[in-house]
Amino acid sequence: MKSHTDQKLTLKNLLIFGVTEMERTQKFLKKFFPRGFLIRVEYLMLLLIFVNPLTARQSGKVCIAVLFNSTKSNVAGADRYVGVFIREKDEAEWQSISNTNLFSFGISISQHGATQRYYIAGGNGLHRSSDGGKTWKIITSWQTMEVLSVALDPADSTVIYVATPYGIFKSTDDGKSWIEKMRGFKTWYTDEVIIDRRDRRTLYVAAEDDLYRSTDGAESWSALNVGASGMRTVVQHPTNFNIFLIGTEDHGVRVTWDNGKSWKAGAGMPATAIYAIHASADGKEIYAGGFRSGVWRSEDFGQSWQQIWAAPEIEAIYSLMVDPLEANHVMVGTNGKGIYESFDKGRTWKQAGLEGAHVKQIVFYPF
Amino acid sequence: MIRFCRYWRFILIAVFSLTDIGHSQTTFVARKDRLLAVVSQEPHKDFFIITAKLGSGVDVPQALSMLDSLTRDESIGGMFYAYGLIGAYLYNRHLLPDSLHRKIRRAYRERKMVRGDTENHWVMYYTGLYLAAQTWPNEDGTQWFNGKSSAENFKEAEAWLNFWIKLTATKGQGEFDSPTYFITFVTPILILHDFAQDPVMKKKAQMMLDYLFADFAAEHLRGNYGGGHSRDYPQDIIYPLGALSTKWAWLYFGEPDFEPWSEARGQSRHRSWETVFGAVSSYRLPEIIRQIATDRSAPYVHTETKRVRNVIRFGEQKNPPVYKYTYMTSDYVLGSLHGGILQPIQQHTWDVTFVSDKPNNTLFTLHPFYSGKELAMFFPEEQKVVSDEVNRFHLVYTDPNKWNSSSPYEQTFQHKNALIVLYNIDQNAKHSHLDGFFPKTLDERVEDASGWIFCKAGKTYIAFFPLKKYEWIEEAINWRWRSHELINGVIVEIGAEADYGAFAEFKKRFQQVKVENQNFDTNLTVKYTTQDGAVIQFTYGGQRLLNGKPVDFASYKAFNGPFLQSETGSGVLKMTYKNHTRILDFNKIAIEEKTN
Repeated sequence: MKSHTDQKLTLKNLLIFGVTEMERTQKFLKKFFPRGFLIRVEYLMLLLIFVNPLTARQSGKVCIAVLFNSTKSNVAGADRYVGVFIREKDEAEWQSISNTNLFSFGISISQHGATQRYYIAGGNGLHRSSDGGKTWKIITSWQTMEVLSVALDPADSTVIYVATPYGIFKSTDDGKSWIEKMRGFKTWYTDEVIIDRRDRRTLYVAAEDDLYRSTDGAESWSALNVGASGMRTVVQHPTNFNIFLIGTEDHGVRVTWDNGKSWKAGAGMPATAIYAIHASADGKEIYAGGFRSGVWRSEDFGQSWQQIWAAPEIEAIYSLMVDPLEANHVMVGTNGKGIYESFDKGRTWKQAGLEGAHVKQIVFYPF
Repeated sequence: MIRFCRYWRFILIAVFSLTDIGHSQTTFVARKDRLLAVVSQEPHKDFFIITAKLGSGVDVPQALSMLDSLTRDESIGGMFYAYGLIGAYLYNRHLLPDSLHRKIRRAYRERKMVRGDTENHWVMYYTGLYLAAQTWPNEDGTQWFNGKSSAENFKEAEAWLNFWIKLTATKGQGEFDSPTYFITFVTPILILHDFAQDPVMKKKAQMMLDYLFADFAAEHLRGNYGGGHSRDYPQDIIYPLGALSTKWAWLYFGEPDFEPWSEARGQSRHRSWETVFGAVSSYRLPEIIRQIATDRSAPYVHTETKRVRNVIRFGEQKNPPVYKYTYMTSDYVLGSLHGGILQPIQQHTWDVTFVSDKPNNTLFTLHPFYSGKELAMFFPEEQKVVSDEVNRFHLVYTDPNKWNSSSPYEQTFQHKNALIVLYNIDQNAKHSHLDGFFPKTLDERVEDASGWIFCKAGKTYIAFFPLKKYEWIEEAINWRWRSHELINGVIVEIGAEADYGAFAEFKKRFQQVKVENQNFDTNLTVKYTTQDGAVIQFTYGGQRLLNGKPVDFASYKAFNGPFLQSETGSGVLKMTYKNHTRILDFNKIAIEEKTN
């Protein structure tokens, strides 16, 4: 699973994000304001939502799935499910919001002034849409090939990082130009880049030989000596920011509780490939999945793991996401079996559409 | 004066017919006209057939309808479409109605032009993009499939094409010497040559065409693309004259001496007609390249340095060198790559390909290797699932019986017409056997008590010495030689009727030869003395010794042979044929010709 940028729950975002966010905030506001005031705020919000077509499109919680077929499928239409698909709250159907042959590895969403932007990490480069997916522009050039992951500076939307098989690239001018940032790396393959929740100049990269950290906005990097190779994904714990979890190619989950000083293997989990890790918003449950692994859960910050779904029919779990507003709701994206979801923290699962698709990332929006 | 004008065509023809160049160009014209006549009758719908029909004035309404259909069919796209459409458009634009002009323009706004992930994909994509952006300049990003303006697209395409041309001229191709993928480089560069308005880019395209055809020519034998190949499909590997490159050889080199699409030759894969762009192009092959391609009056050694395609992980270099060795005669070509994983999926490490009027005119061995890790070296997909992904498009990747493969457990050492191929297969490899392709079209295949297997194919004689026990499996068109020993190898020496006389004499000579491999299982070393007295000693993972002296691959040039010379990294390719030279200088973007 690839990274995305967290959004602060501001009034401006609230207006743009839509009804679900409004509901969430309502509970907060009830503590301080009388009922009549709240109703007026809701009406104002709904008016703004439906007047603005972009906002209207995104009213309600949406799930966004980023689908990948294979870079070896070169012909458009070779597969129904390639690109980015969106599912509105309570809807059953997924709808494409991108080019049908956009081989996609990851997505990020940002606020750029009043404009919401989708970024898709894809085979043709980094794609950006500022109109809810109606039109897209590739903002990388030929040097920045096969973008696997994108991270957006939360404070400056003109600063963008991408991870590619050829290294990390950074743009500081809103995607107009890109500079390779590989000082300190021993290998060049990078799978994922994320930004530290505490400091936007601190980044982490899941690379082939190790996890790398930069504390100077990608100018230099140092390996964190995880003790395993083949970093497939890296996740920072949502409440304890010193905790990082890594999915590896052959060593299951590796976890640090001391900000990368020491690492240990997640107990109970066999040495397997883990491609996706995600935690509930409160951080109490962490889920992981990978190659023939089924779904695993940890309730002790990654120290120990239990398999909660063997999922024998699924060869690989590429992506995994816990609904940030409903911790019971968990979704996984598979290779070739589309999306599955659970509404009871993983005890039972059902197929949730896009059957046949390879789903590289799922995000809930608003986050 | 009037009379002169009336007859000037005949006078010119007469003048040209007195020279080789004139003759070759005349026959080229005849072949291209023949090609267009044949293809214009084809019923299928593609940009090349459409171009042939429009260029020949055959079935013009049908051709326009086909083109219209291709602009409306949203199920197609990608890099093949990106360059094919602009090529068909630019060659035929004067014949198209306004509605088709608009539809073709719209295709570059609405169609999905995937760039792909291989060298040939990018050449097609960026050539198409370059010419499309040049054709429709000054338009903003809303008018393009990728949201970039005409200027942005042109700049990007130009930059990458310049990068690729320089890289190829200095370090060689990554997808080198592929009988199939050769066409995906030549065809787009032909339209770049014909329609690039920038004279520098046009010149570069001309030089790249010369370069690509010269590269082919040095290893060309009567329509066959000899030597090791970076990539090819099994059906072309086991039938070299069935490869798509054969059509190009026919059109430009005048060989083979039959029409490659002839059903009488049992060919089935000649439905692809990219050569039409060659037939309508203004590019003309320099005569020296045709001569290099066809003069096999003297045997020669030709070596090359190429590069591995982009390695993204599990490697220390992004583009390690590939060392090629090819021995060419008038009867056969024996060629090899130095071994290991040099290309994923479709590598063809060595073979002997012989002149024959029968199909399947080749013989080789391989280790049918596959692994997710191999693919993960080159593709960003998850290594544990990528093998199945590849199988979807290259149907035989995991097949134990496949006829193309790169293997980390295979190494070669060639000296002229002799070759040692050694294998040291990991016991955990998915397939642990070796296979050899022995076509049933061989005139003879004899297992001798001496341990040698002797084959006769026309005027070519093959001596094949397996180091370990083996078995034969009969298949439809071939005998499959199979050996299950992990530490293994073969020695091959090729001869010709002109050297040995009767086949019996050839066999007799080899019956006396002893291969020194007494401790092979422990030292992985084989020592062999060739018929001409050269002693070649090869240790798997170790030295290659020729008459006691180590062979140093580092000394290999980009091209080194009697016809082609180029120092790796120089960007200069010198072609020589008798007293003629043609020098492509990619640093100066200049062509120099000399006659001594």
